[in-house]
Amino acid sequence: MSETEVVGNSAGDDVAETDAPEVDGVNALLVQEGDIAADYLERLLDIADYDGDIDLDVENDRAIVAIVGTDLQPLVGNRGETLDALQELTRLAVQQKTGTRSRLMLDVSGHRQARRVELSTLATDTARRVLESGEAAPLTPMNPFERKVVHDAVAAIDGVRSESEGEEPNRRVVILIDK
Amino acid sequence: MLEEALEHLIRGIVDHPDDVQVDMVDNRRGQRLEVRVHPEDLGRVIGRNGRTAKALRQVINGVGGKGIRVDVVDVDRR
Repeated sequence: MSETEVVGNSAGDDVAETDAPEVDGVNALLVQEGDIAADYLERLLDIADYDGDIDLDVENDRAIVAIVGTDLQPLVGNRGETLDALQELTRLAVQQKTGTRSRLMLDVSGHRQARRVELSTLATDTARRVLESGEAAPLTPMNPFERKVVHDAVAAIDGVRSESEGEEPNRRVVILIDK
Repeated sequence: MLEEALEHLIRGIVDHPDDVQVDMVDNRRGQRLEVRVHPEDLGRVIGRNGRTAKALRQVINGVGGKGIRVDVVDVDRR
C-alpha cells in the first residue's frame, strides 16, 4: 500500500494523521474533499442557524456530501436551485484548498435521491409511450444532474434512446425510437 | 446574519480571505449586500458569465435574504 511507511515519519502522530487514510491517491483526495466541504457547510449552517448533520461518503470516484436534518427546505429551494448553487460554491471552496477541480455531489435531506427516483419513473413511463406511439417525446427543461438520470434510465430500455437539445437553462431531454 | 453568511461563503473561495468585506446597504430601493474583495479575487467571486455571483445570490436568497441583491463592487474603478 504505502512505500514510505516508516521513513521520515518519526516526528510523531500529528504528522502521520494527514496521510493515514491514504488507501490510494484518488480516494485520499476524495476524503479530503469531503472534509473541506463539511467545514465550509457546517460553518454556514451555524451562521444561518440551521440544524443539520453532515454525512460524508465516496461513491463512483466522487465525494458525496449530504446535509441531513429537518426544516432544511430553504437550502433546497425551488426545483433544487439553491441546492445546485450551494453545490457549486462548495466545489469552488474545495478547489480553492486542493487546487484540483471537484465533482463532489451535495445533497440536502435526500432531495437528490427522491428526485432521482421521480425522474427514473418519468423516463421509463415516457419511454414506454414512445415505444407504443413511435413519436419522439420532449421532456421539460432539466439541469445536468437531472438529464443524466433520465439518460441513464432510457439507456436501460431497448428500442429507445435519448438526446439533449437546446441551450441552458432550457436544455431538455428528448426520448425517441432507436432505429 | 446575512452579511456573515455571505462573508463566509466568499472567504472560502478566494485567495485573500482577509480582504473580504460585506456590508448591508439599506435605501429606498430596498436592501442590498455590497461585496468588496481583493482585486485579484474579483474574477473568482463573479465567475464565468457571472455564475459564481449568481450562486452566491441564490444561496443568500435561500437562507433568508429573499429579494436582497448582492453587488460585487469593482474596487479598481473607484
